[in-house]
Amino acid sequence: MEYILNIVILVGLYVILSSSFNLIIGHGGLISIAHPIFYAIGAYCSALLSINFHVPPVLGILAGAVLAMLVSAAVALPSLRISGDYLLIASIGFQLGLLQLIEQLDFTGGPGGIGNIPGLIDGPQRSLVFAGIVTVIAVFVVLLIRALMNGDYGRAVRAMRDDELAFSMLGRRAMKIKLGIFAFGSGLAGLAGGLYAHYYQYVSPEQFGILQSSMILTMVVVGGMSSTLGPVIGAGLLVILPELIAFLNLPPSVMAPVQGILFTGLVLVFMFARPQGIIGASTKRRGGLAEAGQESGR
Amino acid sequence: MFEPVILAQILWTGVANSSYIVLLTVAFALTLKVLKLFNFAQAAVMATAFYAMFFAYGTLHLPPWLGIAFGLLAAGVVTAAVEIYGFRVLRRRRSSSLTVFIFTLVISELLAHVFALCFGTEPSTLFPSIVSPVRLIGGLAISDWDLGAVATTAVLLIFLVSFVRFTKSGQALIAVADNAELAELYGIDVKRSYMLTLLVACLFVVAGMYLYGTRSGVIPETSLDLLLSAVIATILGGIGNVYRAAGAAVFVALVQSFSILFIASRWQGVLTFAVLFVTILLFPEGLKLPKMRFFRLTPSVRPSMNAIASPAAAPSNEP
Repeated sequence: MEYILNIVILVGLYVILSSSFNLIIGHGGLISIAHPIFYAIGAYCSALLSINFHVPPVLGILAGAVLAMLVSAAVALPSLRISGDYLLIASIGFQLGLLQLIEQLDFTGGPGGIGNIPGLIDGPQRSLVFAGIVTVIAVFVVLLIRALMNGDYGRAVRAMRDDELAFSMLGRRAMKIKLGIFAFGSGLAGLAGGLYAHYYQYVSPEQFGILQSSMILTMVVVGGMSSTLGPVIGAGLLVILPELIAFLNLPPSVMAPVQGILFTGLVLVFMFARPQGIIGASTKRRGGLAEAGQESGR
Repeated sequence: MFEPVILAQILWTGVANSSYIVLLTVAFALTLKVLKLFNFAQAAVMATAFYAMFFAYGTLHLPPWLGIAFGLLAAGVVTAAVEIYGFRVLRRRRSSSLTVFIFTLVISELLAHVFALCFGTEPSTLFPSIVSPVRLIGGLAISDWDLGAVATTAVLLIFLVSFVRFTKSGQALIAVADNAELAELYGIDVKRSYMLTLLVACLFVVAGMYLYGTRSGVIPETSLDLLLSAVIATILGGIGNVYRAAGAAVFVALVQSFSILFIASRWQGVLTFAVLFVTILLFPEGLKLPKMRFFRLTPSVRPSMNAIASPAAAPSNEP
């Protein structure tokens, strides 16, 4: 039971992460893969506040989300002047640079990370209650993003993404929109980070590296970019499938690579066999991401 | 601390240590120049090259030159497969830069997992000993590895310059890099040029990984870390200019070497990524230096990964 609850919690956290990432990359068209660093900022901020200042975990998690939002806005202001390939590489530089910094600082625990983080919930039903909380938050996040993207703001975001020049010519400020979705998406990642820290009670820099970027990116792509349900499906599939390998009782030195091979192999299969993602077709019908149509090989 | 001999030693060590980064940077920058894509799949080729040589020496007990040939063969096969079954398909579909990026990253991760499964995750070197005989020349400690690394890099760079300047295939690469559509109209086989570019890059990758593997331990993820240094140098040199990228690789290595005079070595990693981040924000076109007209692979305007769909769409100011 504990094992299943763990998976439910992981799926919930990844739903928040992939949905918020989809907001930035799918809806906003901002090619940044630094999402895990905001996840890390939320996790570290919340953990450090709880350990060093005895801040209640709930407040710590909220503070982590706000800090992630503020840092992302501070980074976005200069970074979003550039776009495309450059933004992508800049985001990698920012993510890995900040992780290196976290690894070198003493108060963040260095490469070993931070342990003994106070739990959000204690007691025998801890996992069950936490799974419920994460599920509710994940559903709320998905519905919030759906509402946001189906409204006037969402239309403005899509217009900016599809033709920034035309959008600007209409007197709208593209930078404001970019900044808004970047900060909001990153804040949600920070929220997921805080939840992660207070459930697993341990964080280390290696959990937020380029592999994490790749995993979240894959969830969005496999599920279907710029659709609301795509990242949810992607997160569920890519958390559960590798876990099934665990039932083979392979030694750990074999298990991790096999899971990795399955995971990356699945991405490649989707990339070439169904590039629009699992539920990309509905996106296409609604006139969503043009790329879905382009890449379906029509 | 600032005695001339110490500074000279740091300079020499920095130059020698930059050799494999220069080779990897040239491979990355050349691919970017001609194929117009940030080829993170180079990390897969790097890992393949290293582990093929590791297998050749450790298990097959092949002599050094045959081990290198084995590494070249394995890396070449992976390179060709990535181009034929990956890039060509994505190009045909006019895939976005993001899709291409994901493909290159995922293929690198896939092979890293495969090598972790086959060879484990403990650091490995190509030969049991990485100690190289050292001689004192003018007060400088210079190892055989240093000399071999610098000589190999110089020879390969001369090969690249000669290949590009004096062979038809090399000229074709320039034409394709400038305007692939126009090049095709003039009868140049663009697909062949793309493949040739990747294979030349593969040669540099194998040499770079041989040098690195005879000096340091490698784990399956090492290649991605090393590649990031090449990315930094490529951007610093100004995207689209192969030789400036090589120069930038030396510059980054020297900055790292000399930084030990001012900051603890543990901060070198932070420094490297700070350089990358600041460079992109402040100098997205790279640091501007006087043009070196000696070489033909001069910069065009910045390419875009989007241009993989239509390389000809990338404009050029090349004469």
